[in-house]
This record gives sequence, structure tokens and C-alpha cells, in this order.
Amino acid sequence: MELTIPNEGAARLKTPRLGEAPTQYGLAILTVCLVAAPIIPIIYQAFVDRALYDAGERFTVGNFDRLAASSGFWQMAADTLLFGALATVIAQVLGSTAAILVGRTDMPGRRLLGEVFLWPLYVSSLILSFAWATVYGPSGYMTQLVEGVLGIAPWDLYTRVGMSVVAGVSLAPVSFIYGQSSASATDPTFEEAARIAGAGKFATLVSVTLPLMKPAIFYSTILIFTSSIEVLSIPLVFGTPSGVRVFSTFLYERVANAAIPDYPLAAAASLILIAIICGLIALQGRILGSTRKYETLSGKAVRPRPFQLGRLRWLCFALLGSYVVLAVIVPLGILVLRAFVSFLHPLAPLADVLTLDNFKALWEFPVYARSVWNSLFIATFGGALATALVLMIAIVVHRSDFRFRSPLLYVSMMPRAIPGLIAGIGFFYAVALIPGFAALRSTVFILILAFTMATIPLGYGAVAPMLMKISPDLDRAARVQGADWWTTVTRIIVPLMRPAYIACFAILFISFFKEYSTAVFLYAPGSEVIGTTLLQFWTQGHIGYVASLSSIQIVIIAICVAAARGLFGVKIYG
Amino acid sequence: MAELVIDQLAKRFGGVVAVEGFSLHVRDGEFVSLLGPSGCGKSTTLAAIAGLDRPTSGSIRIGSKTCFDGKTGAYLPPEARGCGLVFQSYALWPHMTVAQNVAFPLKLRKIRGAEQQKRVQDALALVELDGFADRYPHQLSGGQQQRAALARTLVYNPDILLLDEPLSNLDAKLRDRARVWLAELRTKLRMTTIYVTHDQVEALALSDRIVVMNKGRVVQVGTPEEIYEKPADTFVADFIGTTNFLRGLHVGSATSGSHAIRLDDGQVLEVLARGSSKEGNRITFALRPSEMVLVRDGTAFAEGTVLNAALMSQSYIGGKWQLALEIGGNPIRLDAIERHDGNTVRVWIPKEGGYLFPSDPARPTVAH
Repeated sequence: MELTIPNEGAARLKTPRLGEAPTQYGLAILTVCLVAAPIIPIIYQAFVDRALYDAGERFTVGNFDRLAASSGFWQMAADTLLFGALATVIAQVLGSTAAILVGRTDMPGRRLLGEVFLWPLYVSSLILSFAWATVYGPSGYMTQLVEGVLGIAPWDLYTRVGMSVVAGVSLAPVSFIYGQSSASATDPTFEEAARIAGAGKFATLVSVTLPLMKPAIFYSTILIFTSSIEVLSIPLVFGTPSGVRVFSTFLYERVANAAIPDYPLAAAASLILIAIICGLIALQGRILGSTRKYETLSGKAVRPRPFQLGRLRWLCFALLGSYVVLAVIVPLGILVLRAFVSFLHPLAPLADVLTLDNFKALWEFPVYARSVWNSLFIATFGGALATALVLMIAIVVHRSDFRFRSPLLYVSMMPRAIPGLIAGIGFFYAVALIPGFAALRSTVFILILAFTMATIPLGYGAVAPMLMKISPDLDRAARVQGADWWTTVTRIIVPLMRPAYIACFAILFISFFKEYSTAVFLYAPGSEVIGTTLLQFWTQGHIGYVASLSSIQIVIIAICVAAARGLFGVKIYG
Repeated sequence: MAELVIDQLAKRFGGVVAVEGFSLHVRDGEFVSLLGPSGCGKSTTLAAIAGLDRPTSGSIRIGSKTCFDGKTGAYLPPEARGCGLVFQSYALWPHMTVAQNVAFPLKLRKIRGAEQQKRVQDALALVELDGFADRYPHQLSGGQQQRAALARTLVYNPDILLLDEPLSNLDAKLRDRARVWLAELRTKLRMTTIYVTHDQVEALALSDRIVVMNKGRVVQVGTPEEIYEKPADTFVADFIGTTNFLRGLHVGSATSGSHAIRLDDGQVLEVLARGSSKEGNRITFALRPSEMVLVRDGTAFAEGTVLNAALMSQSYIGGKWQLALEIGGNPIRLDAIERHDGNTVRVWIPKEGGYLFPSDPARPTVAH
């Protein structure tokens, strides 16, 4: 047959709509501004002698001297380290044990227990704190139940150890995830070789299984330590009543909750915390680099044969099962139950105290209902915006000739070093400092900006791996055929990335929805979110309202997680 | 369609030279293969023509368009060059059907509606994929994917067609069929085509001209016959077809034009081969195995030399025996009808035929 195609080559190509360079530079400038917005004001504030919006400022290092000399500073620093270390040890012991039991053994019910073990990761540490306080606090349900039997208070959570235990439970899922992915990827023949050589089950566990998990444990240790010194809610709920202060509660008291906020001092403290975290991240990078060298994983996908526990199966099930019930299900369950009663005590019959008043109150006071709507709006709209941003960052970094793509990636990862609380302070300064920003001050948009900045690394981590799996030939093919860079991005790359950006949106939706520490310094009347209203209720002692609002958050997150599961299951093309 | 002119093209990655001094003039409608072992720079050259890689220096012109000029800094992005490229991986977009894949370049050129539909159908008919328009790429076999990729490229009638090892992902039987099919298509379309391959059979069967490359440089440019029959050096002789090499000392030239070569074991060979060499130099004599003949004791052939060869091993390869011999330290590969006994055989080397090359310091690798 004859080919009846007129010769046109590139002749009839339409002219490009959007220049390649302006898009890429625009994105890079936006990212740099977003990341610099909180950091630069903090650095500036740390070195001037008065609040940064006051006139006549002088540069000084006096803020650091004042910080070191302020009452209780060194005690606070020591408590922060102790809290971080204890929480890390507890999280690692819980997480690694669960990871081995779930990932490497034939323990009954391991899949279900593993699922529930992760729940603290989905709900915020704020809600977990309230749940634990409601159940195991001095007047908590379980505390009173046990006290009624024994006659004395069995434990006191409002101590350094108590708050470390709650933080350990809250962060154990992180250790679990890293441990499990390492445990299930390890070649089972290592363990089998040890058994054949004569080692018993326990000897094999101690001498082979655990050492092979070392890289994962090292890596997650630093992550957990960093997270625990950043967290606000746990020290606030369990430390403050007994006068124990850590960096995060110190900042909270000095800025968010103080009559006259001491901004220079808070900035100096923030800068110290950022420096510590930067050091830890650098250490983490070095450990990751060196662990890759002695990685013992074979490239092929092995289906590990589970470790036969024998008669210990049911004992292990009972132990992990009781942990999951007592640490996760009971606290969250009783918190939800508390939402439906006026008063909760082991001796009070449930039927007499059942009520919907706690929910009615949320409905009747527009201020409370507004925080739910604000959170939903921020999570949906902000989550979508942030997803678009990280998707574009990933595409420019991996799929363009942009000159500054490596610096762009570097800048995008910087928020890892900025705790949410400090990002909040930074944006608060930025609003005061940058002329046009004042209009954003009491709107949810400043929260969206701050949340977006804080979650760039998380979102990038959700989209980049898939982008790297898509063959670059697919975009080259479009380019050769006449598509400019932007057309290639919108018509080829973005459609192929669909599963990844849906997953990214789900992750960012949940993380925006439960975020509270960034909002603590930034919210204003009109821009409350669930987390800030919860904190307000808690300090005012409205435990019933705390319970009902927490229940709403738990239910929405559960729906979102279930929906995301369904979407993760979507068959990825090719 | 258009001609392609490449002048002194070079591409360096850091300090590593991928391509250097590459010049080529491809005439309008000509089919030229870039042939060479992996890492020879042929794919780098193709990427430079398509605009996927920016060369370090030199110039590329397609028709009247200057696509790249290292001196003026002129550079056209891939979408402005009007090339068509069929990738080794085919690069069919998995989220589009075959018809959508083929229609994409037409959409970019604002060809819509009935005309778009007709062209997509024509292109699919051309590659014999009429009934597959609504399939997704993963529902096609390897051979069908390769043809779909070709249809997607042919549909907008590019100025030049670039093919990057398009047959290498197919299994051996399918590859033979696809090669024949591609040869027919080529005579039908007469497009300016650059075909990158490491397979000499594909290059010989399809090309008007072949560019043999090695280590980033052009070693020889010529028609398939020239390349096969008059290889420029031992690399080309070895890479194109099977060639046996005999190395020795050039000990004398006669007025008749014949040369005497003394092999390392003392046997002397007399040949009329083309090639220049001075007496006293080490030289290499190259000859296709089909031109060598195994002889029984006593029978002598006119115009040639009979050499003693050590029989190292022999293996049955179906219908014939393949003999591994050694003459004066040189490994020699020969096919024979029957099995040979004993440790030595005699090989007749014709006086005419073969090539003389100055000896390389490094021995060429014995391929095949």
C-alpha cells in the first residue's frame, strides 16, 4: 500500500504554550520562598535584642546567654534528652519485638495485630495523649479500676518515665515499619543455616535475626529520637502538671501561652533545636551510607519462611495481643466511649450516664464546629495544593534539564530539620515581617502554607519512587515526536503518576488533618483547627468535648485510611 | 524527508570520550546503519541527532535546519527537529491505547477528527496492526509492540527516521521475520533512516551504507559489500562476519605483487592480498573461513599454500563439524563435512583473496 502522508515533519507543530524555563524557575523560586519563609525570620530574631517587628533593634548574641541563664534551662535540656532517650528505647523495644513477631514468625493473628499496632501513627499524638490520660491518668478509668482492687494508685503517668512510655507507644510504629521491612526482606537461609549448625530458636534470634536488623534499628533510632524531642502534646499533657519541661513545652509556654511572649528567647531556643536535629540528620545520612555497604540482602524477591515458634506461639500472641489491647484499643475505645457519656467511672452504670450532649455542644457553638470545617478544608484544599507542588518538584528534579535541580531537591528536603512547632513560630514571624503577609494572618491560608512547607519531604517521598520507576524513554518518545517539555509533563508523566499522586494526597490529607503543633502559634479566631480546639478544651477541662471532637477526628481519619487502602490497590499500569 | 549532515561531532562525559570526530552525510532517502559493539558510541550519536543529548562540539544539520552547532551554540530541542525515533524499549505509553499512542503526534500537530482517524488507520494498516487499535500496549506481543511503536513514528512522516536497535528485544525467530518485513517497508517508504544496531546481519541486509564504529570513532563507511569484502582493518574484518587471522613477519615482496609471510612457527605463506606493508614489519593476514580448504595428504592445489595446522578440538554443530585449529599460534575456525582424526590437518590458503593489515599491538578479539 501507499503511504499517503504529506511531508510535514515539525512544520505544523503548534507553538509551545508555556515556556519551559519560566515554569521551572517559578517553581524553584516558590519552593525556596516557602522553605525560607520560616527559617530566615527565626535566624534574624535569634540575633536581635527585641521582638522583630519592634523598631530600633540591635544585633546581639545576648539571647543565647539569657537562654542559658534563664531559670530551669539546664534542667529542661537534660529532661529533653532523657525524655528522648527513654522514649526511643521504649519505642525500639516494642517496635522491633513486634516487627520480628509479625514479620518473621508463625504467630497466630500476626497480620491483624500488626495492623492495630500501627494505629498510633494514624491518629495524632495529641489524641493518643488524651486517650492515655483518660484511661491511665491519675483519675483515669483503668487507674481507678485497678486502684479499687489494690487500694493504692498502681502507677503515675505524670512523671518523666510516664511521658516517655506514652511517647514510646506513640512512636513504636516507626520502629515497627523499619524493622518489618528489613525483617521480611532478609534471606531466611541465614537463620536456617544457624539452626542447622545447631543453634536453638532463641540463640538464632539473638545471634542472627537481631544483628541483621541492626541497620534498620540504627536508622529508625535517630528518626524516633528526633520525633520525640519535637513532639508537643505528650510533654504538655503528662509533663506540665508535674512541672517537667522539655524544649517543645518551653517554647509553647514562652510564646503561645505567655502573656508577654519572649520572642528573642524562643527564637534562640528554636535555633538550638534546629541545630541538634541537623546534626542528627547528618548522622542518619552517614549511618545509611555505611549500612548500605554491609547490606546482606539478596536482590531476588525471597518469600521468607516464617520462624516456627512452636509452643511459644500462643504465649507470644497473648503478649503482643495484650499490648495492642491495653496500649491502643482500650485507650482509644474509652476515649470514644467518653464522648457518649457525661461522666465515666468504673462504679457508674453506663446506662445512667449515656448522652449526646458532648456532640451537641460541638454543633451548637459555631467556634467548635468551625474547627472541624477548617481542618477538613485545610486537609482537602491544602493537601491537593501540596500534592501538586511536590509532584512538580519531583518532576523538575528527575525529569528536566533544569540547571538547579540538585539544589532544588536539597532545599525541598530542608523542612526535615524544622519541627512543626518551630515552623509555626517562623511563619508567625514571617507574617509580622513581610509587608503583604498581614492579610493572611487570621486565615486558614497561612496554616496551609505552613503545613505545606512542613510536609514537602513527606510528600516528595511518596511520589519520587514511582517517578524513578517510569522509563525516561516514555517522555523522550513524546519529545522526539514534537511535544515540548510542558506537554510531555501534562500528557505523559502526570497521567502515568496517577497512583502515586493519589497515594500522596491521601498521606498529606491525613497529615494536614491531624496536624496541630504547627498551628499552635498560627491560629487566630476564625482559623481554629481540630488540634488547637482540642488543646483549648483540654486546658479548660472539658474532657467530654475533647472526647467527642477526638472521636470525629478518629472516624474521619479511619474513613480516609480505608479509602486510601482501596486506592492503593488500584492496579498500576504496566 | 531530508538529508542529514553531521560534522566533527564529539560527546564527552566528564573526561570520558563517548564519540569523537564523527562526520557523516546521509543523502535524502538513504538508509544508513551505525554498527558496532556496545559502548562504541552509536547510541550516543543517535541521541545527539534526536536532540536527547547535547553534544560537546561539532554540528548537526537536518535538511535546512541547523539542529546543533558547537561554534555558534545553536541548539534545537528534540521537539523542534522533526525526527522520528523508535526506541529499543518501544516506549509505548502504557496509559493510552494503540490508537491513542499513534494519534498523539497528530494531536500535537493539530490534526483532528476524520483526518486524524484516517491517518491512524493508515499507519496501523501499514504495520499490519489493523485490528489492534483499541488494545493497550501491555496486551500486545513484543513484535506487535515494536510495530505499534513504528506506526506511532511513521504517522507524522518525520524528516528522518531513527531506529535504535528496534529488533533486539525480539526472540531469534521473530527477529528474522521482522527484519524481512522491515526491509520490505524500507523499499516502500524510502525514508532517510539511521539504524543503530550491533547485529551485522541486520546492518548488511537493510542498509544502503554502513558506518562501523569502535571506541567512539568511525572505523569505516561503505556499502554492505565494501564493508564485508574490503574491511578497513582487523576490527572491521573481525566484527563483520567470521574471519581468521594469521600473524607473522613480512619477509618479502615479489614483482608479481605477491607477499611472503613467515608465521611464528616457521611456515611461510605466499599471498597476493591487497594492503600495504613494508618488509620486516609484522603483519596480519585476514581470510574468511569459507575461503580456506582442508586438504588430504598429497593433493596440492595450484596458486596457494598448504599449511600444517594443529587440531585443538572439534564439535558437531548439526550437519557439519566445527574445527578449532591452530596455525603458528593463531587460533583458526573452520567448518568441515566430516570428523577428522589425528592431531594435525592440512589447510590450503588461496593465493588470491584475503587482506593484509599492519599488525595491531593488541590482538583483535575473536568474536563469533
